[in-house]
Amino acid sequence: MVKARKGTLLECDPAVKQIVQDLDNKKSEAGEKRFILEDLDETHLFIDPCEVEWLQKRLDEILEENTYRFDDVA
Amino acid sequence: MSSSAEVAKGVTNSIQEYLQSLPRQTFDQLYAQPATCLATLRLLPPIAKQVVMRLLYTQKPVAKADVEVWCFPDHRGDLQDSLSKLSRLHICTDYEEHLQMNRIFQENFHNALVGGGDHVSFGQPMNDNKGEVDIALLDRHAAESWETVLHQLVGTPGDRRPKAVTKLLLASGLQEFPDDGGYSETNEHQKMNITSKGFQFLLLDVNVQVWSLLLQYLGLAERQLNMDIVQVLNFLFQIGSLELGQAYSVEPLTDTQRRVMEDLKYFGIFYQRTKKSRKFYPTRMATSLTSGSMVSSRKPEDSQGYIIVETNFRMYAYTDSPLQIAILSLFVSLQARFQNMVTGLITRDAIREALTKGITSDQIITYLTAHAHPELKKQSPILPQTVIDQIRLWEMERNRLRLSGAWLYSDFTDLNEFTQIVNYAEPLGAVLWKNEKRRTLAVTEEGHENVKSFRKRAAAARAGGAGR
Repeated sequence: MVKARKGTLLECDPAVKQIVQDLDNKKSEAGEKRFILEDLDETHLFIDPCEVEWLQKRLDEILEENTYRFDDVA
Repeated sequence: MSSSAEVAKGVTNSIQEYLQSLPRQTFDQLYAQPATCLATLRLLPPIAKQVVMRLLYTQKPVAKADVEVWCFPDHRGDLQDSLSKLSRLHICTDYEEHLQMNRIFQENFHNALVGGGDHVSFGQPMNDNKGEVDIALLDRHAAESWETVLHQLVGTPGDRRPKAVTKLLLASGLQEFPDDGGYSETNEHQKMNITSKGFQFLLLDVNVQVWSLLLQYLGLAERQLNMDIVQVLNFLFQIGSLELGQAYSVEPLTDTQRRVMEDLKYFGIFYQRTKKSRKFYPTRMATSLTSGSMVSSRKPEDSQGYIIVETNFRMYAYTDSPLQIAILSLFVSLQARFQNMVTGLITRDAIREALTKGITSDQIITYLTAHAHPELKKQSPILPQTVIDQIRLWEMERNRLRLSGAWLYSDFTDLNEFTQIVNYAEPLGAVLWKNEKRRTLAVTEEGHENVKSFRKRAAAARAGGAGR
């Protein structure tokens, strides 16, 4: 039987996908519900729409941590 | 410069779009004023102007085939665009392959050109000028008033906050009350916040800013103030053809038009010596409204560029205007301020902050280019390429996720059914992602309803086929 589910399609580069999957695993380890509903392919994930906002914020923080700054140098 | 030309195109388009949204009857009323006819002509592309001038003195309809040979074959497309513009503005109607000029437009445009007819459409000049009001004063008045408006927008504390300005900024969505802060007489001034649209507005050219506020005003006048839109438009177009430095009488204006003048005087479009004065002077902002050229409201020597950007992301701005400094601080991390200049650094954080406010990298680059120091303008490209690229990259890195609401269809038992749905949904543009091997398909939220009913029909057809 064909299954139809509502959710959010997330398109990203493979590096970001790894971070998202890592976040998903951490959530599951902490005993919370996973937000990735389906792993589609290298650049696509199908996720829970309720978690989109949290995910965006969290991802922004992680990418921010990994950015080199030159403000202080100058 | 190409960038400001593009912006200019944006403005004339937007006033044209506004005009095109009006009903035909309104146009007939509008074209009764020669000044409006002239102003409309000025908004047209060159080919359309040419067509109008050629048709002006022909009484009979002209065959479209004849019009086409006026133009080189390579520019037929431009000609078609121009003709469709003319018909959307109801200047020419075309029927049975003939072009016929709107009689009202024809007559009044003729009057505008030769100065015939009995009208005061171009204002009534007054001569009792004692020489107190000169162009320099008008320019100063316009610049000051407009800066006051912009200052109010960025929230610089000040005492001149006319209600008309507050209302317009609020209605145009450039400013807003923070969430629940309702409108009340006591705190109406302190609680206004600038919106992301407001930030974008600050980076535009003065002429663009004036027009976008005037368009908002038109909307407001129609919806809330119950003004006759024809009179307001006539008035705006009229002041576009007045002469700078000349005094005009208030007498011929209708009540509605006087109200418009009352509302718009805070924006520095007119100058009146006293409130009760029977005379008004249009400023440079008014007279350049329909000229299409980017005459800045500032005096020429002030409107020169003042920003220098170096390849090491340092920025020096030779300005002491608090407004310009406030605008720069939107996307530059300012480091030091001297008497006639500020220095700063274009940093990732500063740009990102601007981006989160809804300002785009293009707007920042356009602003920096438009206000570049004459020394910088000698180079090509004007801004260092590294800086431009980096600003664009900073914008791109914010959008590493593309999200779209979707429905995921999976577990198809029949490959046929899967391909059927894909074939149905793909031309609709509803398929976001598909994988044939996994027989999984993601469709857009809008497409979902269509796909659902398609599947129902298909299922019914199959059931019907099996029953027979």
